[in-house]
Amino acid sequence: MIGYYISLALRSLRRTPTLSALMVAAIAVGVGASMTVLTLNYMMSQNALEHKDDVLFAVQLDSWDVNEAANTTNEIPWQLTYRDAQALLRSDIPTHQVAMHRYGFTVELEESAIRPYTADIRVTTRDFFNLFDIPFIYGGTWEKTADSSPMQVVILSKATNEKLFSGEDSVGETVILNSQPFTVIGVIDTWEPSPKVYDVNNGSFTKVESLFVPFGLHRKLEIYSWGNTNGWDSGEGEGYEGFLQSESVWIQYWVELTNKEQKTEYENFLTAYIQGQKDQGRFERPLKFALSKPSEWLVLNEVLSDDNRVLGWVSLAFLLVCVINAVALLLAKFLRKAPEAGVRRALGASRNAIFTQHLIESSTIGILGGIAGILLAFMGISGIRYLAMGQQDTVARMDWVMVIAAIGLALIASLLAGLYPAWRISRTNPSIYLKTQ
Amino acid sequence: MLKMHNVRKSFRTDTIETHALRDFSLEVKEGEFVSVTGPSGSGKTTFLNIAGLLETPTGGQYLLDGEDVSNLNDRQRSRLRNEKIGFIFQGFNLIPDLSLFDNIDVPLRYRGFSAKERRKRIEKVLEQVGLSARAKHLPAQLSGGQQQRIAIARALAGEPRFLLADEPTGNLDSLMARQVMELLEFINEWGTTIVMVTHDPELARRAHRNIQIVDGQVCDLRPVTEQPEAATA
Amino acid sequence: MLELKPMLSALWRNKVPALLIALQLALTLAIISNTVVIVKDRIAKIERPTGIAVEEIIAINVMAIPNNYDMIGAVSSDLELLRKLPFVKDATITNQVPLSRSGSAGTFYTQPNQEVGGEVSNRYNTDPNFINTLGLKLVAGRNFTNAEMQYFDPSEIRDINVAVITQQFADKIYPDQDPIGKPLYDGNTSHPIEIIGVIERHLGAWVDWSKAGNVAFFPIVRNTQDVNYLVRAEPGKRDDVLKTLVDKLSERDPQRVIKTRVLSEYVARSYAGDNLMVKVLSIVAATLSFIVALGIVGLTIFWINQRAKQIGVRRALGASRSNISRYFLIENSLIAVTGIALGSAAALIVNQYMVRDYSQPVLTLLPLLICALLVLVVSLAAALAPALRAANISPATATRSV
Repeated sequence: MIGYYISLALRSLRRTPTLSALMVAAIAVGVGASMTVLTLNYMMSQNALEHKDDVLFAVQLDSWDVNEAANTTNEIPWQLTYRDAQALLRSDIPTHQVAMHRYGFTVELEESAIRPYTADIRVTTRDFFNLFDIPFIYGGTWEKTADSSPMQVVILSKATNEKLFSGEDSVGETVILNSQPFTVIGVIDTWEPSPKVYDVNNGSFTKVESLFVPFGLHRKLEIYSWGNTNGWDSGEGEGYEGFLQSESVWIQYWVELTNKEQKTEYENFLTAYIQGQKDQGRFERPLKFALSKPSEWLVLNEVLSDDNRVLGWVSLAFLLVCVINAVALLLAKFLRKAPEAGVRRALGASRNAIFTQHLIESSTIGILGGIAGILLAFMGISGIRYLAMGQQDTVARMDWVMVIAAIGLALIASLLAGLYPAWRISRTNPSIYLKTQ
Repeated sequence: MLKMHNVRKSFRTDTIETHALRDFSLEVKEGEFVSVTGPSGSGKTTFLNIAGLLETPTGGQYLLDGEDVSNLNDRQRSRLRNEKIGFIFQGFNLIPDLSLFDNIDVPLRYRGFSAKERRKRIEKVLEQVGLSARAKHLPAQLSGGQQQRIAIARALAGEPRFLLADEPTGNLDSLMARQVMELLEFINEWGTTIVMVTHDPELARRAHRNIQIVDGQVCDLRPVTEQPEAATA
Repeated sequence: MLELKPMLSALWRNKVPALLIALQLALTLAIISNTVVIVKDRIAKIERPTGIAVEEIIAINVMAIPNNYDMIGAVSSDLELLRKLPFVKDATITNQVPLSRSGSAGTFYTQPNQEVGGEVSNRYNTDPNFINTLGLKLVAGRNFTNAEMQYFDPSEIRDINVAVITQQFADKIYPDQDPIGKPLYDGNTSHPIEIIGVIERHLGAWVDWSKAGNVAFFPIVRNTQDVNYLVRAEPGKRDDVLKTLVDKLSERDPQRVIKTRVLSEYVARSYAGDNLMVKVLSIVAATLSFIVALGIVGLTIFWINQRAKQIGVRRALGASRSNISRYFLIENSLIAVTGIALGSAAALIVNQYMVRDYSQPVLTLLPLLICALLVLVVSLAAALAPALRAANISPATATRSV
């Protein structure tokens, strides 16, 4: 019977091509607009660390100015001072822990045709790769001593290894960073979390750094941050050492705590640490720290911006108008066909049969609208890539989930739109349409 | 075949209640050809709609083929309509965007026949009404008389025991009207019970029996031969 | 005269289609009025005067390859070279590129060792050529001199002596006073920095910052691994200058990685999000009006077809063509007014959430009224064609059966 209804639906659509095209277009535009925006919002709401959401925590300590809270959503600085990061690293409670920040180097090879270029670097402790589950193609991470003493070793991204060493096993080769020789000890596989949950300070949708160097290099190379450095106290110390000991926050800190006991233990450790610092005259604000899961961290950092949320609501409201519009047009179309439904009733069609027939007709419109809507959404997404000037390329793309969601949305929209008109026509008294007068 | 006892039907609007049928009782026997006449608004159409299970009576009892159908649900009534009842209308009521073949196909689809069975039946009834050659045509391409023959073919395709005709010749000229009437009589001879509402006294007289409805009640039951003249609207 | 009562009862009998139109109009008004205020707000933001010659400026980032590179020495040679290039008006060094969303800020006070009540400002470390290079306008006091330039190591803390600030920052930190000669204290320090000049306006590094326009310039160059130059070309010559820059600088000293980007691209990137909102919301508003108009046309046609016979009867009874058109237009207006009333209420409610939860601008009465008028016009325009068509229904329709 379904086949019969579908053929009737197609026949009916062909009979009023303008009206049908209008309804398909209304659904398509509604679905296209909302899928464009929802795709963007969906991609922005992804959590690349979903699988470790219960065990990873971003660490924040309130080391800020006693007179004024830090200007963040939870009023704790996003990052830590270098000295606090060093102190936390001494704890052996977390399974893994990472202190890190973004930096930049000039990159060149000895006796190579490759022109020197600048690259984004992540300066980090060795657990970075374990904690974030980053797979290695060649080699592995550095030894623990490199986190505290200068060792000129480097781990390359897959793309960098391809650029510098044509993708071959480059472990043991030398790369020149800021004119210093660094030995390659590992190459990681492609890893592109979007949003860049481990560091949303420097743009949530930017590329992952292409080289990784140990945290023990700071003093030797006088490394500053290529991300935000916020301070409230100009400090007393002189020179680079003064900067390291200052109250400037610039280090990002993550820990892996596998169970509740471990987490409680770590919380106690942080409380004790802050107490100890208070005794030395630091941490003058009320004792406050935060351990945020990756999912919480994304919300806290407002990765999905207010503008995105506004667009999301606007597009859903837009779809709603399109659905109401489709209800009105379907009602008009179905009621015009009421005499036919009357005849069918007389010939033995039950109300349910009439209802199903018309619901299938509206679903047909929905499927056509959904397909056209996906095309529109693809256009919309390329439009957004263009308007965002490459700043949203990692999120402005459609995956299969969203294509299926688009068809589903169109189908639900048109079923909802068809529900009332189909019900209405199935309930009309057939006898009034049978009598000719 | 059909037995109504004290059937009532009233329509209610916000302000007025009208009684279309009042204590309406009637029996039609298997194989009968009954004509129904009466002035406009007397309740003829309401009677036909109730008889055809398109409307439910407000009260009273209606037995179709010995089965009480007053309290059936929509699905059961639709099923009965599909299997036992054929309809013919004044305005033919062919579905304009379906071919003649597809029009006759409609009740067979709801019956749930296989494609093969449907094709066999459609070809058979098309032959019976003499329009086999035009199966692919659309209703608009046919004359009124031809359209009504297709409508009859559609009503017959499901082999109903009971045919309800509402002014089947009302939109036809006298020649065509006679042809349609002859077709109905032929069908009746093969055993189908027919109830026909008409304004035409000549046609009414050709039935076995004529019933006159006035003010929602069966007014008079007389043998056709004795009826002097049908009441006019 | 108007036959309002029969018209209303006719509407009541067709309440579902009438309600659907009213509902569409209401939602449309709620959406459009809220998007209009957002779009207006963003356009105003994008069109804010930047105070600088955006179209004539090129930003250059120079990063030294050797680790102990003498950046301070390189800077003076580079600037000398840049300023001599053909079609170059001027060049300057800076710690940050204007309107690039990356820069430095600090809190400044009017009293030594003050801990509260400071004002945050964007801070430039630059040289005396910044005024000419950026195209800024000095409205009071004087610029720095070359003699006042100071050269520091990256983390070296040394006292700064003079500053040029924007009028906006001056108004905030010294309201109703002449700022020239007044002191600034950088953080809670005790060394006064003298304000020696005021420039009319400069937006600074961050366009989204609530304090954008608070800017202070200091005559400092730090010996960092990388520095930024800004080069201003003669009007229309920017792209010619851009072509030669990298080669000339590399030629002078190949020990650096040099990257260039025109300032207008930084600005476009800074405003990309706002631009996206403007474009998307405008498209949504326009498409929405169009779709709703089509819906009204479709439904009015259907409605008139349903009543063709009735219209024929009216015509036969002496109604003129204009009577019939007017009937449908007035009927449509009744629906539209209902929709607009509902929509205005919805628009204001939605706006409260927009303001509270998503920090969007407040919807005032005037834009709401304008949008309501627009919705009314669209709905009447959509009903016009079918209404005129209805007037053409022949009185003979009354006598014909359908």
